[in-house]
Amino acid sequence: MAAATEYLEISGLSKDYEGCRALDDLCLCLGRGEFLTLFGPNGAGKSTLLRIIATLTSPTSGRVRVRGFDLEEDAAKFRMQLGFISHHSLLYDQMTAMENLVFYGSLYAIADPEARALELLRQVDLHHRRHQRVGGFSRGMRQRLSIARALVNDPAILLLDEPFTGLDQEASALLAERLLLLRQWQRTVIMVTHDMDRGLAMADRIGILVSGRLVFLARRDHIDPAAFAGLYRAALAGEVMS
Amino acid sequence: MRYAWLVIRKDLRTGLRRPQALLSMLFFGFLLLVILNVAVPAGTAVAPETGAGILWVAITFAAVLGLGRTVAQEKENRCLEGLLLSPLSPEALFGAKMTVNFLLICLAQAAILPLFFILYGDGFLRGIPMLLLVLLTANAGFAATGTLCSAITAGTGRNEALLPMLFFPLVMPLIAMAVKVSGMIFAAEEPARYSSWLQVMAAFACIFTGLGFLVTGRVIRD
Repeated sequence: MAAATEYLEISGLSKDYEGCRALDDLCLCLGRGEFLTLFGPNGAGKSTLLRIIATLTSPTSGRVRVRGFDLEEDAAKFRMQLGFISHHSLLYDQMTAMENLVFYGSLYAIADPEARALELLRQVDLHHRRHQRVGGFSRGMRQRLSIARALVNDPAILLLDEPFTGLDQEASALLAERLLLLRQWQRTVIMVTHDMDRGLAMADRIGILVSGRLVFLARRDHIDPAAFAGLYRAALAGEVMS
Repeated sequence: MRYAWLVIRKDLRTGLRRPQALLSMLFFGFLLLVILNVAVPAGTAVAPETGAGILWVAITFAAVLGLGRTVAQEKENRCLEGLLLSPLSPEALFGAKMTVNFLLICLAQAAILPLFFILYGDGFLRGIPMLLLVLLTANAGFAATGTLCSAITAGTGRNEALLPMLFFPLVMPLIAMAVKVSGMIFAAEEPARYSSWLQVMAAFACIFTGLGFLVTGRVIRD
């Protein structure tokens, strides 16, 4: 992807938690429609990176820009460009699927939140459940609705934090199918996962984060999936640099 | 303002569907009024100052039960993150939560107050308009302080335990003033004698509202 179409620019990003460095001088650029999967052990800083981009946590130093909007200087416009999916649904159990999407759509000042909500509910196959409260939804249904919630503002960048956690095989397959649609819709995606098979299958760039440092970053088509597990182990041992 | 209204409407909708917060406030308030009424010897008239103290004990303890819920409910499914991801400003979020807390306390008082008059006699019905003014002013202070404390404790994971520890010391001057002014109203004293207390109560509410708008953005994010 050409640098001229960069949607996400991260430079010199660091984050300290009470003296412990969670992210260390991280630099990364992603273009429109790129899908980056980030692997790494627990505590590597993957979720911290997503939370900083999502403006849920402040960086200690460094800069993040999305489509030219700076995280610090244009926080509201910056957030308009983002969607965030984690293993938590961020949905209100007491509200129906439709009400949840209309509420979030209204927060993003969408012209017709009802129409947008209906469109998204059809896309995630929950249209027939639109008047049911989310509290009664299965984990898989919640996650599909969570995708709809994250897309309600038509974001340029989607952040996925372990989206497959807690899903059964069928729900995981369905979610993977929906996530692949994001590529067709030209969304720029960063996905953090421990699921190597799915992570490799979906991405067109692969990164490995270890102790807050991006120790490996390469295009998916330059990686042999069969050898990736070994590459990952070597990266953890500090024997790989991209 | 539009964003705050969206959150208020959402909170009222979810609050009506799950009215545990209001019900627990009412139950606790009623229980305190009944227990304290049993403690008063039969046939003894309750002094205006004592009556004011009883009323505010019931209101304060009932209020603290509901105050934490409005922010804590956003922790369920990490909905707070959903709000923080949106263009909603922390100031609008504070304003919305403070308004919902204010309405919640007013609703609880609307039920607690009639029971207080029934149990402690119609002698306390004197100066109702002024009493309502005191209640509304104190409620604004409660709502501002409670919302601020809820925002501070929301990220700790021990919201329910920490909130009273933070809230009560801060709100103690407001409670003391509310008891004092209510006692003077029940004793049918002239408004000129307690108007300065009422002004201090209003100032308390304004200070904590301003403080809430200033610091919520800092405390609500990691």
